[in-house]
Amino acid sequence: MSRPMNDDEVNNELQKMVGFIKQEAMEKAREIQVKADEEFAIEKARLVKQEQQAIDAQYEKKLKGAEISQKIAQSTLTNKSRLKLLHRREEHLQDLFNTARQSLLSLSQDEGRYVQFLEGIIVQAYLQVMEPTVIIYSRKSDVDVAKKAAENAAAQYKELSGKDVKFEVNGTLSDDLAGGIKLISGSGRITLDNTLDERLRLLEDRMLPEIRKDLFGPNENRKFYT
Amino acid sequence: MSAQHSQGIQTLLEAEKEAAKIVQQSRQYRIQKLKDARSEATKEIEEYKKSKEAEFKAFEASHAGTTSEAQAAVDKDTEVKLKSISDSFDSNKDAVVQKLLDRVVLVKPELHRNLKKVGA
Repeated sequence: MSRPMNDDEVNNELQKMVGFIKQEAMEKAREIQVKADEEFAIEKARLVKQEQQAIDAQYEKKLKGAEISQKIAQSTLTNKSRLKLLHRREEHLQDLFNTARQSLLSLSQDEGRYVQFLEGIIVQAYLQVMEPTVIIYSRKSDVDVAKKAAENAAAQYKELSGKDVKFEVNGTLSDDLAGGIKLISGSGRITLDNTLDERLRLLEDRMLPEIRKDLFGPNENRKFYT
Repeated sequence: MSAQHSQGIQTLLEAEKEAAKIVQQSRQYRIQKLKDARSEATKEIEEYKKSKEAEFKAFEASHAGTTSEAQAAVDKDTEVKLKSISDSFDSNKDAVVQKLLDRVVLVKPELHRNLKKVGA
């Protein structure tokens, strides 16, 4: 059996070997191809997923931004509306104050009431400054009534406080004013403005809550009242 | 005999060369496939992005519609409120003016609460 092979046998073996080599190569090639296909699919899916996530996040942000800007726009609208309403209220209020200021001028026409009023405000002035000497300023047209009122007022002042007061009346206020008096202490250091105009001004300011309630109704959003 | 040997070896060497070629081809295939993965992924991503963009644009368009609606609604509401303010003012104005004028002349002179009347 260990005789050398003849030509045919040698060829046979060679062919078998060649076949074997080819076979192995084909199998290896096949393996590489299958793996390549797999890797292709995986890599593609990975890349796509990665970018999709990034894109999703980006559009999520854009959406949020759009929503926010919409909310801002809505809020701006509401704000503008509120401002309009407040503006209208303010206009009405100014109108009201103007009317009141006009009407002031007629208050001094009612003689009886005006004299009584002058007396009252002069006592009030005396009690406010608590000075022994004062100068009273009235309108030129009021000088006489003011003098009388100041007399009576001094008596009332003594009644209330037990103190005396010396006064002087100057008719230097303009007649354009609505009425009332101004008072300066004897040393000239304290001034008191008790004119009708000033009183109205103070009232305008202090009465605002009450005026608001009377004109426009109470505030529905308010929770606390003292 | 050596002539036969070298022929045989030649055959085998050629077979090896063929085999190497076959394997090399499949390796090329692999490389190409990886490049394809890259480019096809890019294409798919572009598509996705386009569809997302279209979605977003649609949302924006609908939102622009609601803004102008909202504006009109708010304006109408404001008009109503403005009117009610003016109406309520007109009906109460005179009473309030009178109140103001009454209080202007109302005066109650009092001694300061910390002081006592000086007996004399």
